Amino acid sequence: MINPTYLAQKTRTSVNWADARRRVIKSYRDWLRAAPEIQQMYSLNMPVSAIRTKARQEFERHRYVAQLPTVDVLITKSNEEYQETMNYWKQLTHVLKYFRAEDDPKARLPHNFVAGFLEGRN
Amino acid sequence: MPLLPRPATARLLAAAVRPASRRLGPASARTYADEGAHDRSVQPDPKSSTSDAPSAKPGDSAMIRQQGPAEGAPRHKPDYDVAVDYRTSKFSPIPMRVMDGSEPGEAVAAAVLSGAPTELQARTVRIYRPAKTATQSGTWHGHHWRMDWDVLEKGHRWENPLMGWQSSADFMQGTHLNLNTKQDAIDFANKQGYEYFVQEPNERRIVPKAYANNFLHSPKRLKHIRTK
Repeated sequence: MINPTYLAQKTRTSVNWADARRRVIKSYRDWLRAAPEIQQMYSLNMPVSAIRTKARQEFERHRYVAQLPTVDVLITKSNEEYQETMNYWKQLTHVLKYFRAEDDPKARLPHNFVAGFLEGRN
Repeated sequence: MPLLPRPATARLLAAAVRPASRRLGPASARTYADEGAHDRSVQPDPKSSTSDAPSAKPGDSAMIRQQGPAEGAPRHKPDYDVAVDYRTSKFSPIPMRVMDGSEPGEAVAAAVLSGAPTELQARTVRIYRPAKTATQSGTWHGHHWRMDWDVLEKGHRWENPLMGWQSSADFMQGTHLNLNTKQDAIDFANKQGYEYFVQEPNERRIVPKAYANNFLHSPKRLKHIRTK
């Protein structure tokens, strides 16, 4: 008898787009609900709304995916990240890597060619 | 992409014409659609199709132009608004487009799922057949196809200040991928979202020769006298 760890999700495929939509929204709601706990657990110096915005941003990145198997894998990855975060298996650096664009000016792309040229990208 | 305000009409864009799905190069070489030329591993029939995706549905009028002229133009220039991931640095080149899974076709979008840095989709890849070594050992090593990454504009090499060793910010430098056929390499580049160009090999031209042809009779004046 294998006892799964806390927050482990059984691997499954979505039957159709409506099923996938339900699973994605459930995963998104889990992240939103967990945002205050993440802030408290990892002692982040940002408001809870910033964590929720980042969750929204990561979900929006894949909004227009057209294939169901791809969506399944993305849902699985979201659940994996969720489990690793909530079980405190991650460390501060692993959580903060999602916020690099806000913190570090070198981790962003420039707005146009001239801005990039002035900052030294050839 | 997620940072731009999206009007409601943007959600009606068909997957095939959405700017993120535009690619460089001839369209026939850049789609995932099975061209029927060769049989890849057999996969079960998909139970849902890309037309069920949350995008434009049939019934939307084809007469109404749903994208502005800027969005319909082909992308030759770097896209500065593309979504960055946590590995972007000041050495990262600017991509033309980053695959976001909305491209039509049946293949799984490995660029979206693999977790590879998005800056890899900015770098051009050369697909070629390495030349045969100039010895007489045979052509054993001249049949496979290799994928090679172009050098970064900045950060591919500098001198370490302490010891003078060569340091690099390019994680793909010195990496080769060996594949069996040209189509395999092109499919891989398409799947991963790499910009690629194919360099055709210089085929060796073997002229069949016979020594006896030097002594054949010719009724006309000999252009070149091969015997004395």
